Amino acid sequence: MNNTEERLWSYIDGNCPPEEQKAISELIRTDASVSALYQQLLSLNKEFAAVDLDEPSMAFTYNVMEVIRTENAQVPLKAAVNKRIIRGIGIFFSVTIVALLVLVIASVKWTGVALPANLTAHIKMPEINHNQARVFVQAFVFFDVMLGLYLFDAWLRRKKARSSEKMM
Amino acid sequence: MQSKLSDAALIEQTLTGNQAAYAELVKRHQRFVFTLALRFAKVREDAEEIAQDCFIKAYRSLGSFQGQSKFSTWLYSIVYTTAMTFLRKKRIETESIDDENNFIRVENQSSAYDVNNAENRSRSFYLEQAIRQLLPDDAAIITMFYKGEQSLEEIAQAMGMEANTVKVKLFRARQRLKEKLERNLKHEVKELI
Repeated sequence: MNNTEERLWSYIDGNCPPEEQKAISELIRTDASVSALYQQLLSLNKEFAAVDLDEPSMAFTYNVMEVIRTENAQVPLKAAVNKRIIRGIGIFFSVTIVALLVLVIASVKWTGVALPANLTAHIKMPEINHNQARVFVQAFVFFDVMLGLYLFDAWLRRKKARSSEKMM
Repeated sequence: MQSKLSDAALIEQTLTGNQAAYAELVKRHQRFVFTLALRFAKVREDAEEIAQDCFIKAYRSLGSFQGQSKFSTWLYSIVYTTAMTFLRKKRIETESIDDENNFIRVENQSSAYDVNNAENRSRSFYLEQAIRQLLPDDAAIITMFYKGEQSLEEIAQAMGMEANTVKVKLFRARQRLKEKLERNLKHEVKELI
């Protein structure tokens, strides 16, 4: 009987494959006991669906929002600063450092020489190749401009979203 | 105006800092979340605490909600884990709830009914009582399926189970519920005689 009941519940829920659905329909039509059980389950199903939801206290939403407001108010200023700004500053400095490193490394003349006995007297600062330097500076400035535009665009989008909220 | 907005639109507004949008989301889902919490906690005060906790947790991690599932499914998964943690903390003997000889604790729940007057009790009252006698998991599955507009797959996602397991659990929960309802009604008829 359990098997029939299980099949009937699947039929009521609409979880049966089409062939199974056909077979159960036929069974309900021809077998009086199955038909009676089906009617019973159908009425139970309606009752289950009609159960009312419980209502929390009147101040529920207010209480939740109050906790959220309090939490937000307690956030220290350093944590409240927009993460995107911090990330932008981080990217700027990272790029600056990497660009300078690349520039310096690219300007070094990598000729193999035997180390002299008096090393410090022979150390010379690498000469910067001005043509290469110009390319790097241009690339660096270009990247900064693009980064600036990207951050400006993000700021404008946020501003627009805020103003559309106020309009609603 | 905001009541017409979808959950996704309200989430988007909340993420831009509009707290009123989140208040709207809370209003929209509070009855279901509270009912679901009540299936686990059995006491209104505890259920309210769980429900409140869930909405606060959801607000904090709203940024991580990717929108791949319904907001309600995501929220119910928070309710489920929060309620389970609550049960573990309170050390409620869940097995004893299913014991036929054990009376359930129902506090401040029947304000609309005169509990001493059997004639006033409707069939829905007994059904509600039978649901409260179920194991929390069974009661939660019944509630999510019938009142939360969740499919078996979504319930499985919220409860961290396989869809097939949920299907079997739902079938068993309905059987138990049917038995308990019949038993409660029989008991009441005996009382009346």
